Amino acid sequence: MDATPSNAHEPAPSVGPESIPSSIPAFSQRVSRGISRRTMLFGGAGLAVAPWILAACGSSSSAASSTSSSSSSTVGGATTSATGSTAVTTGAAGTTKSGGTLRIARPPASTVETLDPASSLSAYEYLGALYNRLVKQDASGTVAPDLAASWSVSTDQMTWTFVLREGVAFHNGKAFTSADAVYTLQHILDAKTKSPQAGVLSPFLDSSGITAKDAKTLVVKLKSPNAEFVSLLMNYNCYVIPVGSAATIGASGIGTGPFSLVSFKAAGKGTVKANPNYFGGAPKVDSIEFTAIADVQARVNALLAQQVDLVAQTNLDYATAKTVTASSTATTATVKNAAWYVMPMLYSAKPFTDLKVRQAFKMAYDPQEVIDLSIHGLGTIANNNPVPPTDPNYLDYSVPHDPDKAKSLLASAGFSGSQQLYTSSYEPVMSILAQAYQSSVKGSGLDISIQTASADSYYTDVWIKKPFCVSYWYTGRPVDQLLNQIFRTGSSYNESLWADSSFDAILDSARKEADAAKRKQYYQDAQKILVDSSASIVPFFADRIIGLSKKVVNYKEFGFEFDYVNIGFGA
Amino acid sequence: MLGKLIARRLALALLTIVLATVLVFVALQALPGNLATQILGKDATPDAVAQLTAQLHLDRPGWLRYLTWLGGAVHGDFGTSLATGDCVVSMAGDYLRNTAVLAGITIVVGITLAVILGVVAGLTRDRLPDVLISGVALIAMSVPEFTLATLLVLVFAVKLAWFPAVVTDGPDASLRTILHNVPLPAAALSIVMAAYIVRMMRTSVIDVMASEYVAMATLRGLPRRRVLLHHALPNALLPALNVIAINIAWLVGGVVVVEAVFNYPGIGTLMLDAVHNRDVPVLQYIAVIGALVYVVSNLLADLAATALNPRLRTPARAS
Amino acid sequence: MSGITTGSPGDTAKGDAPRGSGTLRSLLGSPIAMTGVILVLLHVVMAVAAPWLAPYSPIATSPLDAIVNPSSSHWLGTDQLGRDVLSRVIYGGRNAMLISVVAAVLSVGIGTALGMAAAYFRGWFDEILMRILDAVLSVPAILALLVVVSVLGAGAPVIVLAATVVYCPAVIRVIRAGAQSVVGLDYVTAARARGENPWATMVREILPNVLDVVLVEFAMRASWIVLLVSSLSFLGFGANPPTPDWGLMVSESRSLLTVTPWAAVGPIIALATLIVGLNLAADGLAKARGIDRITGGA
Repeated sequence: MDATPSNAHEPAPSVGPESIPSSIPAFSQRVSRGISRRTMLFGGAGLAVAPWILAACGSSSSAASSTSSSSSSTVGGATTSATGSTAVTTGAAGTTKSGGTLRIARPPASTVETLDPASSLSAYEYLGALYNRLVKQDASGTVAPDLAASWSVSTDQMTWTFVLREGVAFHNGKAFTSADAVYTLQHILDAKTKSPQAGVLSPFLDSSGITAKDAKTLVVKLKSPNAEFVSLLMNYNCYVIPVGSAATIGASGIGTGPFSLVSFKAAGKGTVKANPNYFGGAPKVDSIEFTAIADVQARVNALLAQQVDLVAQTNLDYATAKTVTASSTATTATVKNAAWYVMPMLYSAKPFTDLKVRQAFKMAYDPQEVIDLSIHGLGTIANNNPVPPTDPNYLDYSVPHDPDKAKSLLASAGFSGSQQLYTSSYEPVMSILAQAYQSSVKGSGLDISIQTASADSYYTDVWIKKPFCVSYWYTGRPVDQLLNQIFRTGSSYNESLWADSSFDAILDSARKEADAAKRKQYYQDAQKILVDSSASIVPFFADRIIGLSKKVVNYKEFGFEFDYVNIGFGA
Repeated sequence: MLGKLIARRLALALLTIVLATVLVFVALQALPGNLATQILGKDATPDAVAQLTAQLHLDRPGWLRYLTWLGGAVHGDFGTSLATGDCVVSMAGDYLRNTAVLAGITIVVGITLAVILGVVAGLTRDRLPDVLISGVALIAMSVPEFTLATLLVLVFAVKLAWFPAVVTDGPDASLRTILHNVPLPAAALSIVMAAYIVRMMRTSVIDVMASEYVAMATLRGLPRRRVLLHHALPNALLPALNVIAINIAWLVGGVVVVEAVFNYPGIGTLMLDAVHNRDVPVLQYIAVIGALVYVVSNLLADLAATALNPRLRTPARAS
Repeated sequence: MSGITTGSPGDTAKGDAPRGSGTLRSLLGSPIAMTGVILVLLHVVMAVAAPWLAPYSPIATSPLDAIVNPSSSHWLGTDQLGRDVLSRVIYGGRNAMLISVVAAVLSVGIGTALGMAAAYFRGWFDEILMRILDAVLSVPAILALLVVVSVLGAGAPVIVLAATVVYCPAVIRVIRAGAQSVVGLDYVTAARARGENPWATMVREILPNVLDVVLVEFAMRASWIVLLVSSLSFLGFGANPPTPDWGLMVSESRSLLTVTPWAAVGPIIALATLIVGLNLAADGLAKARGIDRITGGA
């Protein structure tokens, strides 16, 4: 996993309906954000999204992938498959001059934000600056050492051993040891923490299985085999905190990261200053100032008026991006394939109980037309497969657009031809996608009527409730997490309620399989089933466009955080 | 007589506020979803929902919950925010201060501007200044306020960089910071507000200037300036007072849009947060504040009218 | 202290206003009113004749022509989905006007009935109604809107309802004030003494006297409702895409303001001219009939 999951609903937080600027508008956006957060938050599973994560998170790495599994021991980098998305950003590169204060605008997670990384209410933008994980995603998308210098797994994929980095100290001067690593994982699993990542880990991991063999060795014994375990530790909830700090970490922010906390106020301003002793080298800038701005348009205006240098967690829609690039002071950077858009067809509801109807709906649209209309081609056609092409486990398989076949399938299913599609202003692309799909399927005899629902309650009243709606997820979950969390029978994020026991069985086999090549085969088999019979239309992966000042250089984003050490101002 | 009138008005004002809180309470009950379910999220177990329901006293009848709330409110205890657990009154304090600054400046600037322009327009009826002022006022009230606010940002913050585009500080920012950030939002609000008052002022000045009373004063040989300031203006203000009062009350809601555009940490921002959090105690508190402003500004307008025109000091007028 | 008895803006109509028969005449006689009426009529014609006037279908998408500036083939350019902005502006009035007319009829209709009733019955009915109205008016309108929309979801009926809830109380007060000056007059007292059905008396004796006020209210409220609908569309509670609707268009194209301004400016101008027209009509009428218009910000 390199990536962290991001989730669907979350999206809103980061992205916001751009359009809304207006009056009330802001409201809707904010509302939506709230809800989603809350959902995640309390709801469990989590996927919270980390915004930047989005994209970055995923990795492409092919390299990494394979190795690990086989027998025990692999060191350092590679192991498990990488996740898929892509990272990569383009932004100005160049010599950085040292010093200066980087001003970042971000949407507040909520009025009760915390710096506890395990919480679903964490103020994401601070995490990567303050903390480190055991493993991170590197620029190439590979699982890379962070606080864990190396790791290995037993042949049965049950026991994982991590050798920790030497000579690392927390901001308060205390040395980092295996006790901190054990505590961090137990804190995530603790029901009181309500960590979104607990839902991902707890099916195969108990607190009792996490032990310190010695001061520099962490041993994790799983309840059931999982060849992908290490990738799940790249999640943004897995930042390492000092032992015994559960009660204080939310305000103290004491970690091992490149910056240490100066001040923090929930949904307000905060500052972090460079940690000269950072084991990865001292950061280029002296300090970072975070400002919470709820309205997307206000965040963009702050950038254009040079009140901030970078807009975090904000996907600029195509039009806004044009506005930003047209300005004299700001520019944009792109994160490839940062999110995937989806139209879940409720498996339990008519007409989608019928496989023929689902297939017809997938074949009825022209993918090129839809991606062009929706996002001006700034992304990649997905062919109804949620696994990004950059994922090493990706299967290049598609069922071609075929209006005539769609028509005959619908006729043989006895389908009337008209269907209501729900959307909302939750996120700017959603409504545009709905209109693009509607326009594209006309040729297949499908009559779609669009219904805009309140952004406020979209993810509580429409999603997984109405038969047909528009939604999206951030790319970046490792393939194992992606398939298990969103498509497995009965998973709480299975938004189409699709159920296929042969698909589930394949996922189980993959987790037990030590051989990476065979595991990849399983994941590819699973993807074929998705494309052929799942209840999710996945038209494309969309790039994420970030707004930043022209003065900022070396902005790079991967693995849920950007490169805090090297970002700086041009000389 | 006057004392009795004022007492009656105060009693009515109190009744209005209480009724408003009842309305808001009832309306908030109608919001979709059980509050406990909202808070716990969709995967909550029925047990947890039942427990929280009891904890929030949601299992009690609505009228009882309302009375409990009212009992606290009378003593200045408006409960705690569901989102943050903080005391509502102290939490809202900073937001209120910021909005008070914004609204205060808007009222002073907007009303002064409106009165001056309205008088000028009224005195130059149908001539160039009037046509210009009336035209601009008409357009200002015909364009959605976010359009106006956005325009101000594009021109004065992005293009000219004279003022900040958004407020980057939180609700606890220093007064200096707030004042530094206030010009553009106050300008947007003042323009919208002035547009309505200008039109009223103009009509009223025209009426007064055509009245016998002013004609008499002029005939008595009083200087025009004196006639205007001492005789015409107070009378012309009279009809405008209610409009001014309505506009002040409107500000409580009107700031929402403008605050959102400028990320201004005021009561509108708090309201949006509270709506999305379904934070009923905070919304109730804001409703009380809104009702209070409405009632007080109307009361003041009536009192001012009474002061300006003794003939209105009859109880029959009160309602 | 002469002159100013005309009542504060809250209490509109002058008692001596003639009966409603001359309304049309005074409308025609006022250049301001005529300008307004013509503007509104232009919009009506544009909406009705949209299929013949619009150069393109308002919903035809074209990925290759997205976001282009005005040209000879697209006079106002195109939007994000490559749709012709001019065609959408022309069609856009249909939605705005239909909703605002229905909502204005409802809020002014209900407001007139209740306002007259309050003036006629006086006593406890009037007292209770006024207290409730005061309470409703004292709640910030935006809070009321948010609640209505959150409870009922999107769609034209909800917008009509929301607009009615927001504007009806103010209309009641205005009509009540106007009717109060009539209720005391001899012929009303006489009708009352004859024991006539109160509603018949109201319709026959009072309504004609407040008809001017009602018309002014109608034009003014309609203009505000157009604004309100556009705001709600922004929120995503207005028209469903791809319906051409001014508010929705502004919201969809707002971020393009500095790149292809016409996609947003076109609908704003259409919106503003309709509102100006309605306001001028209301102004002209009010002036011709001697009514002080109240212009609150509610």
